Amino acid sequence: MRFMMLMIPKGFESAPAKLDLDAARVTEMMKYNQALRDAGVLLALDGLHPPASGARVSFAGGRPKVTDGPFPEAKEVLGGYWMIRVNSQEEAIEWAKKCPGSENEVIEIRRVQEMEDFTPEVRQAAAGLNDLQHEARTRT
Amino acid sequence: MRFMVMIKADAATEAGVMPDEKFLAEMLSYNEQLVKAGVMLAGEGLHPSSKGARVKFSAGKRAVIDGPFAEAKELIAGYWLWQCKSLEEAVEWVKRCPPPPQGEAEIEIRQVFESEDFGAEFTPELREKEEKLRAQATQTDASRR
Repeated sequence: MRFMMLMIPKGFESAPAKLDLDAARVTEMMKYNQALRDAGVLLALDGLHPPASGARVSFAGGRPKVTDGPFPEAKEVLGGYWMIRVNSQEEAIEWAKKCPGSENEVIEIRRVQEMEDFTPEVRQAAAGLNDLQHEARTRT
Repeated sequence: MRFMVMIKADAATEAGVMPDEKFLAEMLSYNEQLVKAGVMLAGEGLHPSSKGARVKFSAGKRAVIDGPFAEAKELIAGYWLWQCKSLEEAVEWVKRCPPPPQGEAEIEIRQVFESEDFGAEFTPELREKEEKLRAQATQTDASRR
């Protein structure tokens, strides 16, 4: 099964658009990334720019409304993610615990939906999604 | 540039309610347009947070907290990874997303870090390691499909 490990760094919601990274911390995190890779569980990973350079689109009343970041009401925002393939949620939690997380950081673990998780009706309606995902992936 | 486009959770997604057939069909056709335009790199839906967990780091300890998590508005229900020329282009694509029949959908767009975005702290050595890792991760993904 696939899981997303969503990194929620404390204070990232109010970080400046231009971020200075700490080299020692990047090195430490790279070791962890390497360990995930060596274990054959790592499928993808990315870091995100702070929300100050992002945007939100809401659809209240069915019409899109764009708000530029930062988002003052946000209490927590995503800083990055890992996508892993493991045999159980427990294994995913064990991997998250091994992360060199800083004080007050949180990693949220969420299972990714697979076609098998859906009812036959939904599967039929979504037929072709797997092909699309595959076609999209070959672009990376 | 790459963007992570996140569909925020709401009461329906958190309850695990499946969207109706009409909305699924609209979403599929939207995804088709994204792929055709060469914009979509990946897209996934997540199970509700009630089935998830959090690991919190504090004072050198790791606390495991089981879901669900209270602030549904801050949670995500799914995401895409897009390749666009600018944030504006990504916003234009998001505006065309079919709004779900229930609730007030919100979508957040965030640029993904590329190795060029890092300063001098990201040494050529680290950069090379990172690029290798990414290539290997993509290979693992492809080989297991």
